[in-house]
Amino acid sequence: MAPPAQSQRSASPSQPSGKGEVSDLKSQLRQLAGSRAPGVDDSKRELFKKVISYMTIGVDVSSVFGEMVMCSATSDIVLKKMCYLYVGNYAKVNPDLALLTINFLQRDCKDEDPIIRGLALRSLCSLRVTNLVEYLVGPLGSGLKDNNSYVRMVAVMGVLKLYHISASTCIDADFPLTLKHLMLNDPDTQVVANCLSALQEIWSSEASTSEEASREREALLSKPIVYHLLNRIKEFSEWAQCLLLELVAKYVPSDSNDIFDIMNLLEDRLQHANGAVVLATVKVFLHLTLSMTDVHQQVYERIKAPLLTLVSSGSPEQSYAVLSHLHLLVMRAPFIFASDYKHFYCQYNEPSYVKKLKLEMLTAVANESNTYEIVTELCEYAANVDITIARESIRAVGKIALQQYDVNAIVDRLLQFLEMEKDYVTAEALVLVKDLLRKYPQWSHDCIAVVGSISTQNVQEPKAKAALIWMLGEYSQDMHDAPYILESLIENWDEEHSAEVRLQLLTAVMKCFFKRPPETQNALGAALAAGLADFHQDVHDRALFYYRLLQYNVSVAENVVNPPKQAVSVFADTQSSEIKDRIFDEFNSLSVVYQKPSYMFTDKEHRGPFEFSDELGNVSIGAESADNVVPANRVEANDKDLLLSTSEKEESRGPTHNGSAYSAPLYDSSSASISAANSLSELAISNPTSAGNASSSSLAIDDLLGLGLPATPAAAPSPAPAPLPPPLKLNPKAVLDPGTFQQKWRQLGISFSQEFSMSPQGVAALTTPQALLKHMQGHSIHCIASGGQSPNFKFFFFAQKAEESSNYLVECVINTSSAKAQIKIKADDQSTSQAFSDIFQSALSKFTVS
Amino acid sequence: MPVIASPTHYLFQIVREGITFLACTQVEMPPLMAIEFLCRVADVLSGYLGGLNEDLVKDNFVIVYELLDEMIDNGFPLTTEPNILREMIAPPNIVSKMLSVVTGNSSNMSDTLPGATASCVPWRTTDVKYANNEVYVDLVEEMDAIINRDGVLVKCEIYGEVQVNSLLSGLPDLTLSFANPSILDDVRFHPCVRFRPWESHQILSFVPPDGQFKLMSYRVKKLKSTPIYVKPQLTSNDGTCRISVMVGIRNDPGKTIDSITLQFQLPPCVLSADLTANHGAVDILSNKMCSWSIGRIPKDKAPSLTGTMVLETGLERLHVFPTFQLGFRIMGVALSGLQIDKLDLKNVPSRLYKGFRALTRAGEYEVRS
Repeated sequence: MAPPAQSQRSASPSQPSGKGEVSDLKSQLRQLAGSRAPGVDDSKRELFKKVISYMTIGVDVSSVFGEMVMCSATSDIVLKKMCYLYVGNYAKVNPDLALLTINFLQRDCKDEDPIIRGLALRSLCSLRVTNLVEYLVGPLGSGLKDNNSYVRMVAVMGVLKLYHISASTCIDADFPLTLKHLMLNDPDTQVVANCLSALQEIWSSEASTSEEASREREALLSKPIVYHLLNRIKEFSEWAQCLLLELVAKYVPSDSNDIFDIMNLLEDRLQHANGAVVLATVKVFLHLTLSMTDVHQQVYERIKAPLLTLVSSGSPEQSYAVLSHLHLLVMRAPFIFASDYKHFYCQYNEPSYVKKLKLEMLTAVANESNTYEIVTELCEYAANVDITIARESIRAVGKIALQQYDVNAIVDRLLQFLEMEKDYVTAEALVLVKDLLRKYPQWSHDCIAVVGSISTQNVQEPKAKAALIWMLGEYSQDMHDAPYILESLIENWDEEHSAEVRLQLLTAVMKCFFKRPPETQNALGAALAAGLADFHQDVHDRALFYYRLLQYNVSVAENVVNPPKQAVSVFADTQSSEIKDRIFDEFNSLSVVYQKPSYMFTDKEHRGPFEFSDELGNVSIGAESADNVVPANRVEANDKDLLLSTSEKEESRGPTHNGSAYSAPLYDSSSASISAANSLSELAISNPTSAGNASSSSLAIDDLLGLGLPATPAAAPSPAPAPLPPPLKLNPKAVLDPGTFQQKWRQLGISFSQEFSMSPQGVAALTTPQALLKHMQGHSIHCIASGGQSPNFKFFFFAQKAEESSNYLVECVINTSSAKAQIKIKADDQSTSQAFSDIFQSALSKFTVS
Repeated sequence: MPVIASPTHYLFQIVREGITFLACTQVEMPPLMAIEFLCRVADVLSGYLGGLNEDLVKDNFVIVYELLDEMIDNGFPLTTEPNILREMIAPPNIVSKMLSVVTGNSSNMSDTLPGATASCVPWRTTDVKYANNEVYVDLVEEMDAIINRDGVLVKCEIYGEVQVNSLLSGLPDLTLSFANPSILDDVRFHPCVRFRPWESHQILSFVPPDGQFKLMSYRVKKLKSTPIYVKPQLTSNDGTCRISVMVGIRNDPGKTIDSITLQFQLPPCVLSADLTANHGAVDILSNKMCSWSIGRIPKDKAPSLTGTMVLETGLERLHVFPTFQLGFRIMGVALSGLQIDKLDLKNVPSRLYKGFRALTRAGEYEVRS
């Protein structure tokens, strides 16, 4: 086969290393190619192995292509397989070889051995060379009709591969309908399963453009098809069962008989050896019975044992995946698992990610009857070698204490922790005692006695220190040396690096002052002075606020800072129940493992075919019914502003923006701190440095504002008309209709993606999506759709270049509780996406309460 | 973590014998499916190669390629049943090499497709022939237990498996029944087990795959006693800690307990340890893992380990206590008490050997101090 070309190739000087060996192999292969001697296949195999191992380590062995193909004219399947591997690897990168390969594979597709037919067809479809798809249709067509199920099975997957290379070729050849026919009639269940898998993928990605495909997709979930497949489920391979169960989980039953029929049919699947099947069945059961409260509860009881067995039987990795799901169920219905709490005891050898989940479950299932045992167990973990787990378990004890009514025994345990003299144990316990006291003030007497004996020297962690200081302030009337401890802490103000601690210190010293004024007055003065000179904005502001409050009226100040408190009855849950429900809907998926709904972590492009189209629909465009969705045109009232030309706006908007964002409070604070320092001298403290500090702190803030904000048309910081031309100008009157947006979003790849923190001011202002939309519009970035509720907001923005119609599309997800924003940018002109991202981020960073 | 998120992909990984098996996805999917599949790949490979290590994988990369080819296509798992794979791709053993020399058939793969792909019993081929027909049923149990600091048995469970090695000709139909199936808390079956007979009479009725397989796994919870006691005592003052551990038989299971070992990690704050035992050998590895191999418990004395540990300077007393992990093995007894009643066979030749065995070993058996 093409010997001249080959010799040219080997003579070329650009041959990579291993040249000697490769030409050696070549000649040996050529010798064997024609030989019919017995045992020749064994020597061929050795040579093939060498070729493939060279290929694997990266030596270019494409020059022996001809010889490899010649040698594989044999009935030896291992040789064939190696050859397919080889050609598959080189055809992709080497188009002139690809055509040769196709001939060779097409011939093998007609071989009399079904395995060779199947393997050749699989290799043929795996070449994925776009301009050769025409050669696939014929072999695939006959493969689907092959009388051997192995070949049919391969052909079905081949259709899907063809679809991904060239959707139109696949549809034009009517393959989906052939697959549907096979799915309903083929005797081999693996063929049926592959058809199902392929059809799901094809029809759901076609559904957005074709009415018929979307009807067909619906039809997959129709009662006849679902039942037809379910009746054969026992013949399916375990993986195919998983696939089918996923389908059934989406099926909407017509009535309760329907539900019970399916559950009866599937009940024995809960006993399957494969955990994936069990979990998929659990999902079906849970989803089918959502509307039937009693049955739903019985389902929990039924699935409990299989899940617990799965946790204890498999490898740590399997356990983890199952535990994540069990965790979700336990959190939803802790009472059902209350009697099984021992299953959540941590074993010494378990990895810490497993232990962490178990600790959370132990916390959740604790009730009146088992709390004692659980807390005893948790206390043993506090002496664990693994410090993270020791900490977590102390926290767990605290959480249990906060959710129980009878905390008698638990308080004792916590106080024992304080006496353990391990710094991290003390630290965790302090935080807990603080929370406990907020809920059960009646325990203050016992706790304060122990807390009072802890030396502040031994507490270094900010959270623990803050907790200790809080208690010092709150209970200063009961703790004899509270003012003096606070005073010594204030003396070391500059060494205290954590703003949280300094904030607490300010508040605590205030509280102490109201209770024991003569002893605390000095400390208070020192603390306020230090606070006013503090470079941290929050600390500074709080000090100033307290100072003015005191100046205004001391009794009002007391009412503000230390009002009579009510015990906290319930602490806010960290995760909203809406999100929990959403995760539950996505049972048996990655969401459960991550404990986040999938829209929060999956990229649009990488989303499964079903979710992809659904999701865009959800957050869209003109869905007036959903009231959390703001269509872009609502903001159009603002359009008058946009009539100004870009350059005009540069000047007119620049200062106002700067002003509204930061400089007003800045001005205020620096002047105020000077006056504060002056008037503080009444308290007999001279503080010459504070004014200087204040001015330097204002500089720091200026810097901060300047940092990372490139010149943008909408808000150029310099008053002069931009000495450097702005790199990118946006068209303030950009228009893009929702359909085009959706289409572009699907077509374009992500050119830029980043997660960054938002300023606290920005987060504070983001109470509704509308606020941000107006703001961004001021920066020529327009919103096409938005949605979500606190703390998660999601926006789709677009912008256009000023001169040309080049679009930027942005997906922006903002989590206000973590103050993180994640953006994904898609651009017609990829080269400027970085510049656009800078504009976008700077615009976003200027978003504050206005 | 078994599941890792990268900016573009989600990765699943499992680690077996130092080899990492990795799968990646870009879409939402059932995580357990990916992990189960990886576990299966690891099992199949280790069955084929007779173990798992880097060299074995490198030496047999062709087999590995072939297997992966059959096990997954376009991201969808296909055939993972070892019996069927073995018919499509011959294992690289001496027997198959011998066979190919003798028969002159140099392909290490059968010319025909496995019959099972067409038969209604997908885990079994139709024409299996043995000169001697034998079937072995093993009860293999692992005892998981936690004994807390106060010496209280907090949790004790048995995880057990019924392992069958079936070397039978034709299409045999087996029925296995237990004397006391009611003690089982939860059971899981190989796909070959028929569900109805179990549901109505707790009888295992099945057509077995050929060779070794796991017929059933089960759990028995809330056991009240353990065969062995471990009594650790640690007292510390002035920067040293005295340790003494006694091990002995609590409830004689009636058979010999052997391979008794006790392992524990010395706390990080221990600088050095001097430990001796009156029976068996004590080793302290470089990672401060201490291992005491006892073997069998002698009749005349109770094995004990004593010694002193020196703590870090500045540390008066020990705050972090070691957890002792016990290992043991008892041949001939299933500690859960599960007993096989009988095994009936249909469609088999009359000359036939049936073998039953039982074994219990320690699983996660830990004693805290």
